Amino acid sequence: MDVSDILAAHAAKQKAVTVEKDIPLQVDAGFLTVTDLNPVDAESYSANLEDYLISTARDGVQALIGALFSLPTTPSPDGPLARLPTPTTQLPRAKPLPKPKPPTKWEQFAKAKGIQHSKKEKKVWDEEKQDWVDRWGWKGANKQLESQWLTEVPANADINHDPSKVARDERKARITKNEKQRLGNLARAQGTSSSAAPAPLAERKKELDRTLAVTRKSTASMGKFDRTLEGEKKPKGIKRKFDPAEVSATKETSHNLAILSKLDKEPVTKKAKKSSADGPPGGDNVLNVRKAIRSASKGKGSAALARDGAKGKGKKGRR
Amino acid sequence: MLRTVKPKNARSKRAMQAREPKEVEDPRTAIFVKGTHTGEKVNVVMKEMMALKRPNAISFAKKNVVRPFDDASSLEFWAQKNDASLFVVGQSTKKRPDGMTFVRMYDNRVLDMCEVGVENWQSMAEFKTPKSTPGNKPLMHFASELFDTHPRFIQLKSMLMDFFNGEVIDSICLSGLEHVISVSLAPTPSSLNSAGAADALGAGTSSDAQSELKSLPKAHVRVYTIRMLASGTRIPRVELTPMGPSLDLALRRHTDADGEMWKQAMRRPKLRKQEVESGLGKKRKNLEVDEMGDLRGRIHVVKQDLGKLQTRKMKGLKGARMDAAAGEESDVSMDDEADSQRRKRRKGD
Repeated sequence: MDVSDILAAHAAKQKAVTVEKDIPLQVDAGFLTVTDLNPVDAESYSANLEDYLISTARDGVQALIGALFSLPTTPSPDGPLARLPTPTTQLPRAKPLPKPKPPTKWEQFAKAKGIQHSKKEKKVWDEEKQDWVDRWGWKGANKQLESQWLTEVPANADINHDPSKVARDERKARITKNEKQRLGNLARAQGTSSSAAPAPLAERKKELDRTLAVTRKSTASMGKFDRTLEGEKKPKGIKRKFDPAEVSATKETSHNLAILSKLDKEPVTKKAKKSSADGPPGGDNVLNVRKAIRSASKGKGSAALARDGAKGKGKKGRR
Repeated sequence: MLRTVKPKNARSKRAMQAREPKEVEDPRTAIFVKGTHTGEKVNVVMKEMMALKRPNAISFAKKNVVRPFDDASSLEFWAQKNDASLFVVGQSTKKRPDGMTFVRMYDNRVLDMCEVGVENWQSMAEFKTPKSTPGNKPLMHFASELFDTHPRFIQLKSMLMDFFNGEVIDSICLSGLEHVISVSLAPTPSSLNSAGAADALGAGTSSDAQSELKSLPKAHVRVYTIRMLASGTRIPRVELTPMGPSLDLALRRHTDADGEMWKQAMRRPKLRKQEVESGLGKKRKNLEVDEMGDLRGRIHVVKQDLGKLQTRKMKGLKGARMDAAAGEESDVSMDDEADSQRRKRRKGD
């Protein structure tokens, strides 16, 4: 059996759909892009531009189509869908990566304890109705205790004991608690995202108390005739504190020595600081220049002193 | 800056959620802005580019005083307002006639810019040939070695790919491929060849900048429709027909991306388990497609334990009851022997 004809026919068919280039074409099937890195042939480029462009483009597209048609496909009503690989070209994102949602307090706890999340069904089986009912919501199973016609009452119950009201109150309390926890989780998530961490509770309380104390005194009568609210405490004044009368001997001596050492020094006043800054640096200056000028010019200043000196000389010259 | 608002109803909440950053991003929306003066040429070119970019394109009909290379604040504002991350700013001046600036944004800030001048062009209407369906995903073709070596052309390629084809998709209908956008360069001048490039890098002064720009080869952008002909094999033979528009572009000014911002923009999400399993993330081990196009796998089988092999069951081999009676003592003695042997071996070592 001679298969050379068949092989030749197959090769001819293959030839029509294969592209031979010096540098193989780079195909990025994920982005449907092909890059032809062969240098541009200047001769055929200048001979006929459009023909050259269309022929290079055809070669490139043929290679790309070849790569796309050899990808694994999945059938669909509109024809075969080629499953594309991930793109090899890296393009910049338009927006930053989404931040992971901060875990709720329960999620943190569950993670620490290794508790796994188990999904609760929304419907539960009601034996009485012989039907599936919602766990919560309209005619939810969580309202069964409130709506049942007969309820067991404990022996020591109050006369006004209303079992359905008790159940309802409990349910409402659970809802408010859950809402509070939800808001807490939201606030915590906000806190972690912003740079400024909220102040600790004790600090905030202190600040509030201080503000309250100030506002209570900030009336015309310094708060004397203000109506006091029920449960309001009398504002505390500042208590003076004294050192204990009896201290150890070493403490007393050190205390006294500290006083003595202060007495030995010049008192640090504003003026003294200023004059030391004016004087020449390094070494304590004996002459206080400003004071000397003041006394020499009889309080008129350095300018007057200079003028007087000049006048005296001029008179001498004239004579 | 716009105010950050809290959604008041479900509809606005959904709209805001659609704008939030996603792991796999939507296609970029492009805004086409006219500068203070745009000639007729730039107007029509922008219109036709928009026809290719639709439906992810927004046109600003009025003129705007916008100079992207001097002040990008209005671009940033528009990007945030329209949730767009690409701009094409058309501007024609005496110094730079018929210019178009491609601006790419990251996180509503300008990432990089590239200005091109339109030199020759032919509109879609001039080609009396069938056109592609609006909104169809194009193929892209780049031809020149400079797209791999020269930073200006690497940027141009990245910009155009982002413009027309930047969306990551997992599958595509092969019969729906209709057109290709081909970007080819003029022959590489000798100054940009490997020897000349080193010189250019050495003398990187501002006076050279003008001449360097002149020496950059033109980019020919052509759009063709694809005809697939039966070839007798699985892969069809491709013929191209010009569809238009065709543009000849000259590169002008540009700004590169800030290093830190670029690094941020190139961050990739971690691949999910499902994707890794389907072979998207990593190379699948022990799988190959042979020349016939068949998927072949290699399996490694652990060594079989022949002791557990079930052979023919016979009454005589059922020694369970006999073992239970006599087995106790013999087992103990056997163990002792084995232990002593082990000890001896250890001493020998």
